[in-house]
Amino acid sequence: MAEATQPDLAVALGRLRLSWPTLMGSGCYGSGEEYAPFIDLAALGGVVLKSVTRHPRLGNAAPRLVSTPSGLLNAIGLQNPGIDAYLENDVANFADRPCAVIGSVAGFSVDDYAYVTERLAARDEIDAIELNISCPNVGTEGETFACDPSLAEAATRAARGVTDKTLIVKLSPNVTDIAAIARIVEAAGADALAVINTVRGMSIDVDRWTPRLGNANGGLSGPAIRPVAVLAVWEVARAVKIPIVGQGGIETARDALEFILAGASAVGIGTGNFTDPRVPLNVVDGIRDYLAARGHSALSEIVGKANPRFAGVR
Amino acid sequence: MYTLERSPAVHRTVVSDRREPVPGIVILGLHVPHLASITLPGQFAMVVPPSGEQAATALGIYEAEGERVSLMLVVVGPRTRELAALQIGAPLDLLAPLGNGFELDALGDNVALIAGGVGIASLLLPAQALAARGARLTLLYGARTAAALVDADRFAALGAKVVLATDDGTRGHAGFVTELLRALPKHAFSGLAACGPSPMLRAVGRAAAYLDIPAQLALEETFACGVGACWGCVVPHAASSVGTPVGLIRAKRAEPPARESDRFCYARICKEGPVFWAHELRW
Ligand SMILES: Cc1cc2nc3c(=O)[nH]c(=O)nc-3n(C[C@H](O)[C@H](O)[C@H](O)COP(=O)(O)OP(=O)(O)OC[C@H]3O[C@@H](n4cnc5c(N)ncnc54)[C@H](O)[C@@H]3O)c2cc1C
Ligand SMILES: Cc1cc2nc3c(=O)[nH]c(=O)nc-3n(C[C@H](O)[C@H](O)[C@H](O)COP(=O)(O)O)c2cc1C
Ligand code: FES
Repeated sequence: MAEATQPDLAVALGRLRLSWPTLMGSGCYGSGEEYAPFIDLAALGGVVLKSVTRHPRLGNAAPRLVSTPSGLLNAIGLQNPGIDAYLENDVANFADRPCAVIGSVAGFSVDDYAYVTERLAARDEIDAIELNISCPNVGTEGETFACDPSLAEAATRAARGVTDKTLIVKLSPNVTDIAAIARIVEAAGADALAVINTVRGMSIDVDRWTPRLGNANGGLSGPAIRPVAVLAVWEVARAVKIPIVGQGGIETARDALEFILAGASAVGIGTGNFTDPRVPLNVVDGIRDYLAARGHSALSEIVGKANPRFAGVR
Repeated sequence: MYTLERSPAVHRTVVSDRREPVPGIVILGLHVPHLASITLPGQFAMVVPPSGEQAATALGIYEAEGERVSLMLVVVGPRTRELAALQIGAPLDLLAPLGNGFELDALGDNVALIAGGVGIASLLLPAQALAARGARLTLLYGARTAAALVDADRFAALGAKVVLATDDGTRGHAGFVTELLRALPKHAFSGLAACGPSPMLRAVGRAAAYLDIPAQLALEETFACGVGACWGCVVPHAASSVGTPVGLIRAKRAEPPARESDRFCYARICKEGPVFWAHELRW
């Protein structure tokens, strides 16, 4: 008996080709190396590296994590060595990764985004850039880029101007109209959108009368935010033609399929890795089985199929 | 030369035995072929939840011998409740062994182990290793109440002098275990190894400085990844002896630093720790 051909799960995000439709969420996966003992990195579409900034950042005071019902509240505060030390000490280690390596850039001014993107994208080890304009844990400055249409546009344009590599822009759910921001970012030259970053949140210790996080407020991730994220993808997929990387609480293939049917071409997995590092494998296997059982030959065939006004290109 | 493969991996285990020495505390014995021999005293495991519905749980490796390791759980919330309900024959996956264990050779031959609550779980392997090399052992062990003191006799069987304390005075010294350190003369021990909640470990650190005894502390804070990937589990650290992985930076509380001792970086408890030298923490 001839073996049935496997459904095609490869995805293109601009020039970037992913063998599998799974990106590990920035800040959740280190540089990938931390997880190498537990999963074959070749089974991942790619790793989005921890966000890097122009200057070194100490990060927020502890505690930085609080577990909440079906979720995780974090306020890391972009701890990173700054772009100079990062280029000198870290980036060379990302060579020869058997999956895509996507640098993540965070900033506090339009010039920061241009400067860090240009320097990072110039390195061969980096296959693409994700612009983190949506970090909720660095005071108000960081997230204003994703929440203010003119700043979102300026940051995207600035980064677009300095690299031809795939530019993914990561949007915040903490806005009134995410589709409007998505449209502006698309027009400013983004190749793809990551939807969503964490949802702003807080937890208070009622015995001590103080917020539990050192930073007081933080970003919520995990299954608790999945419905918020699916709706955000649904709305963005009606507004733009560029591909979407849907993320927020994905732990199984069926979770991932919700995002894909809403209009995502690929998915991000962050907090799900904290449950079990084999989650990305299970997601890929499950999607493949799902497609095969329904007689589809490629993942692209079902992107946006639950979304009647899906505007993207399959 | 033959080197022991110590790198962590996903280990598939099966619950081989289960003991509930006191209500609310469960010791799960796990059958697992290649873990005990590579586990160092003070290392921990990230336990994958059987339901797949919550984050993995960090647990110290309590016992490790042959093809068996065990975990001691205090039921405090949903994850520990799920694990405590496991019965013999249940499969359980672990990421292990993780983190850096105690540097026992640096503690000398007259060591006090200081345990607070479930911190006892991370001290049996160090006690066994120290006893095996002939060190004199003292266990200072504190818990909320007498009913929460577990397995002190295991330490006594290794020759340790056991001193107990309970917050409510139902057994041993009435008060915190760290109060037992106050009465000691300087250099009363050659080294201290402690595990327990952070306020207790801070007190051990202060006492160690005053008594001029080198102390290693095993921290237990909230983890997410447990493997060094998320930077969520940090403690301010003098940075002198930690490596330089991505993001580990030197910075200061004030600019310019008033004193060298004001310099610190945030080190990951799961990766650079969980065991730290007390004098290197800046908390
Ligand atoms: C390196 C390391 C080693 C550890 N070793 C062990 C071990 O060997 N055995 C063990 O039982 N636990 C150990 N812990 C603690 C254990 O990981 C947590 O208790 C566990 O994650 C709680 O999960 P939960 O979902 O049951 O409770 P959660 O919902 O996370 O917590 C429930 C409530 O209990 C409180 N709480 C959390 N942890 C503790 C605690 N340790 N003592 C008292 N109250 C607490 C929380 O603040 C919260 O209010 C270790 C932690 C670390 C970082
Ligand atoms: C501990 C932690 C750190 C994170 N750090 C970053 C970061 O540095 N940059 C970024 O763009 N997103 C960061 N995120 C957001 C994730 O990449 C992801 O978009 C979000 O958590 C939602 O997906 P999830 O529920 O699968 O985690 C972080 C999330 C967590 C939980
Ligand atoms: S728990 Fe993620 S770095 Fe320690």
